[in-house]
Amino acid sequence: MKPAPFDYVVAASPREAVQYLADVEDASAKIIAGGQSLMPLLALRLARPSLLVDINRIPGLETIERISETTIRIGTLVRHRMLCAQTNSPLLHEAARWIGHSAIRTRGTIGGSLAHADPAAELPIVAVAAGMVIEVMGPSTQRTVDAQDFFIGTLENSLADDEMIVSVISPLPERWGFAEYARRHGDFGLVTVAAAEVQGEVKIAVGGVGSKPVRMLESEGLVNDSVTLSGQLIDQAARAAAASVEPNGDFHGSARYRIGLVEELVRRSLRQLGSGQADSEVDWS
Amino acid sequence: MTEITGVDPKGNESVGRAVQRKEDYRFLIGRGHYVSDLRLPGTRHVAFLRSPLAHAKINSIDISSALEADFVEAIFTGESDPFKSVSLIARSALPSYIETAQPILAWDKVRFSGEPIAAVVATDRYLAEDGLELIEVEYERLPANVSAWSTPAEPLHKEALDNVLLERRFQSGDVKDALAGAEVVIERELISNRQGGNPLECRAGVALFEPGDGTLQFWSGTQVPHLVRNALAELMGMSEAKIRVVAPDVGGGFGTKAALYPEDVAICMIARLMPGTPIKWVEDRAEHLLSATHARDHRYLVTAGFSSDGTLLALKADVTCNVGAYSVYPWTAGIEPLMAGGLLSGPYRLENYDCMVRAVATNSSPSGPYRGVARPASVFAMEAIMDEAARRLGMSTIDIRRKNFIGPQDIPYKMPTRLVDDSGHYERCLDKALELFDLDQFLEEQQRRRGTNEPPIGFGVACYNELTGLGRAASAGPRMPFRTGHDACTVKVNPDGTVTVFSGVTSQGQGLETTVAQIVADGIGVDYDDVQVRIGNTDESLWGFGAFSSRQAVIGGGAAQLSALVVRDKVIRLASELLEIDINDLILRDGKIWVAGEVEPRLSLAEIARVAYLESNRLPDGMEPGLEATRFYDPIRGAFAAGVQIGSLEVDVSTGEIRILKWVCVEDAGRVINPAIVDGQIAGAIAQGIGGAMYEHLIYDGDGNLSTGTLMDYLIPTSGEIPEMIIGHLQFPADNPLGVRGVGEGGTLGPNAVIAGAVADALGILVDQLPVTEGAVWEGLQ
Repeated sequence: MKPAPFDYVVAASPREAVQYLADVEDASAKIIAGGQSLMPLLALRLARPSLLVDINRIPGLETIERISETTIRIGTLVRHRMLCAQTNSPLLHEAARWIGHSAIRTRGTIGGSLAHADPAAELPIVAVAAGMVIEVMGPSTQRTVDAQDFFIGTLENSLADDEMIVSVISPLPERWGFAEYARRHGDFGLVTVAAAEVQGEVKIAVGGVGSKPVRMLESEGLVNDSVTLSGQLIDQAARAAAASVEPNGDFHGSARYRIGLVEELVRRSLRQLGSGQADSEVDWS
Repeated sequence: MTEITGVDPKGNESVGRAVQRKEDYRFLIGRGHYVSDLRLPGTRHVAFLRSPLAHAKINSIDISSALEADFVEAIFTGESDPFKSVSLIARSALPSYIETAQPILAWDKVRFSGEPIAAVVATDRYLAEDGLELIEVEYERLPANVSAWSTPAEPLHKEALDNVLLERRFQSGDVKDALAGAEVVIERELISNRQGGNPLECRAGVALFEPGDGTLQFWSGTQVPHLVRNALAELMGMSEAKIRVVAPDVGGGFGTKAALYPEDVAICMIARLMPGTPIKWVEDRAEHLLSATHARDHRYLVTAGFSSDGTLLALKADVTCNVGAYSVYPWTAGIEPLMAGGLLSGPYRLENYDCMVRAVATNSSPSGPYRGVARPASVFAMEAIMDEAARRLGMSTIDIRRKNFIGPQDIPYKMPTRLVDDSGHYERCLDKALELFDLDQFLEEQQRRRGTNEPPIGFGVACYNELTGLGRAASAGPRMPFRTGHDACTVKVNPDGTVTVFSGVTSQGQGLETTVAQIVADGIGVDYDDVQVRIGNTDESLWGFGAFSSRQAVIGGGAAQLSALVVRDKVIRLASELLEIDINDLILRDGKIWVAGEVEPRLSLAEIARVAYLESNRLPDGMEPGLEATRFYDPIRGAFAAGVQIGSLEVDVSTGEIRILKWVCVEDAGRVINPAIVDGQIAGAIAQGIGGAMYEHLIYDGDGNLSTGTLMDYLIPTSGEIPEMIIGHLQFPADNPLGVRGVGEGGTLGPNAVIAGAVADALGILVDQLPVTEGAVWEGLQ
């Protein structure tokens, strides 16, 4: 369980980092930030990059700034720990608390988690539900990608080989809900649900039921078409969500069980969204 | 037997007190010294090529490209000697037992995914693993079978075409008749989950063959250094005098490190082939999950008959244990089935018993000893029977157990398997556990919640007897060519009056240095701080079988006590001569000689020791210099430790989530030597048991690939999953020098049965299969 050989460079700026990526001929360079997902893949030799570009020492990427009344910009190197500590976005605060354990939250970064594109990870799900916009840089380009379009499949994102995430623009939801069920404290959720209302529109994203965060379009329709969020409507939306997913089963839980969890967790997240209160009182930060 | 009620708070004995552990300071400041910390100059690192297939013929192993790589120093395969001519064969004289030959490095056939095939030596582990990628093996795939109760398509060993390595029938009384007369007959099929020990420190070894004098040193994280030395000498054709095995600090064992593995022998053989070069192998977690011993993969088909008053009349069982690809060395494939059949009836009186147990080989990592050895599974089976009988008879689960307990009046109680129960205090344990649990309050709350929307709650109970400290008679069952009944201990008073102990016990974190020091301090009559204990080194201690079967406090502790008393006698005899006072009037306490009734001591132990070592002119005629003794101890039989656990939980019916509310354990550990250590052992064992009951599961797919190959899928509970525990004690002294009963394993016996029983109580769902996951609970509710 030791990585295969690789070269290693420290980038001083985003531009330099992506230039390193571009200069590797076989396109097998990888950015390393907190390393919480990449290091196990390296150790198991499941990832074999020829070059690791360390971006941890690039200045200016570890900040969260308020760019408008309703949006924040989050630098790619912002650690989960800082998401827990910030108060601008209660949804991000809540979701980040569910990520791993404190050592993981201390190193892991928002850019790394999004780029890794694990369909069960908390931040991609929240990014889709909240309608985040990902700011991406290449050697000669700069562009933005909606979170909805960023995730392509399991551990697959829409970055070109020579691009990196520089920052994320996150709307601040008026109302939100977050619910996760994991087998142990700190595990990836079997099912995770984030619901967020931004400018009057509710989006619901579910993780653990497909190769990327899945929007619950029918449930969203029910919620958005209704003036009030009654218990009956929540139940209806939860059932619609359960009817729309086709998860795979494994030894951690059957497909049927995961569908059951989708119903229950969509219900919980919408109840929370409706009440405007986090239902967890445990402070894990 | 009178119960011990505690230590005299004004007394000066060390035994019975939670003295500070001798190990803790070095661990807490990061100065523990594990095999991985051993960095000898010129060390070379080994990585093993492991089979990716569960069952295959090996047509060829091509190492030519690997040999060409400049970073590869050496490669060894099983095709050449010494590897080819040696295999690990666990011996037993039991009829029907079939031996298996486990290769050091597989060369003609692989029998489980993860079996070592080749070893690459390089200057570091990274390069050694790079070298593995250059080896090409051509396999011819054979059908794999990982279930012990499905028909095998292809036998693993030509000696056992049905894959059955051992069958044994335990029989007593007339089961057929008794079942015919039973009011209620229960039939259940119960399956327990495959698990592994997963100590914090995986396996590790450094071997160094010294060409100057032909000696082999082997630093190993083993639980059994003397057994390892004995086996290595035989396997490598060396004299034991030229082998030194050292187990330094070891980070957990749980039985996993009580086996001698092919990798251990391989690195010693490599060291001999590369004289003067230290050869190091440190197992990583993926290797551990794949190739260290597994356990607990059992099926119990049980039929039990009860009379209308709840009396257990007969028990019939068919027990199949998946023992993996080889009969584990040196314990044999019998280790789990024999324990399962030998103690299935647990703490209950039983006359009519008919139990067939079998060991079945499959294409999986060999099963070996794991904390509790089969008992967590067999207690689960027995307690499931008791719970169901109670329901069928309309009795409480508590009353039916009371009805059947072996009691103090039955002692010594000969079980239907001829094991002799010397405890009988199960009902006392249960009473105390019920008091600590507060059953009335629980039942009231359970009643209150019924008909509300609040999560339903349930409670479960597990009663068990753990056979500990097995002497030569009690350890005879497996008929191995050695009996693990005894240990030795050497106690030496140094010329300055301090004490050094060379004990045959080993420690993987259980604090044996502390426990032995407490025993010796009291045995001689010196301060605990003046006793140093050295363990885990075959050049220092005379003999010890090591850590397993909850044996060390009983056996190693007994040897320490006997040796200390011999030394104490000599000190008093010498003092008597020096002082010209009758020995019966002298007391050795706090390292000083007192005359009974006097306020001031007459002599210090240091003064006497000085005479013993440095002033032979003052020794009485016929007395040898020195103050040292070595004694063996063997309890002949064993000491049964009674235990009861009661736990309650609530279930979130919408997710199946189980939340443990309360956990109580009461054990009879006999005399408690160190309460903090004993409670730590019990709490740790319960935590491990909860892991097995709810989370830990080694799963192979149909092709024999391990699906749970990392700790992301093999779930070990964290502190977040483990409840606070209330631990109570009874102290009925056992019949051994210290009156102790083993306490290292018992805690693992309860959780399967408690969780399964509590889920059944809360939801009315019968649990037939472990682990009890939220998914299984949820499915059961649909």
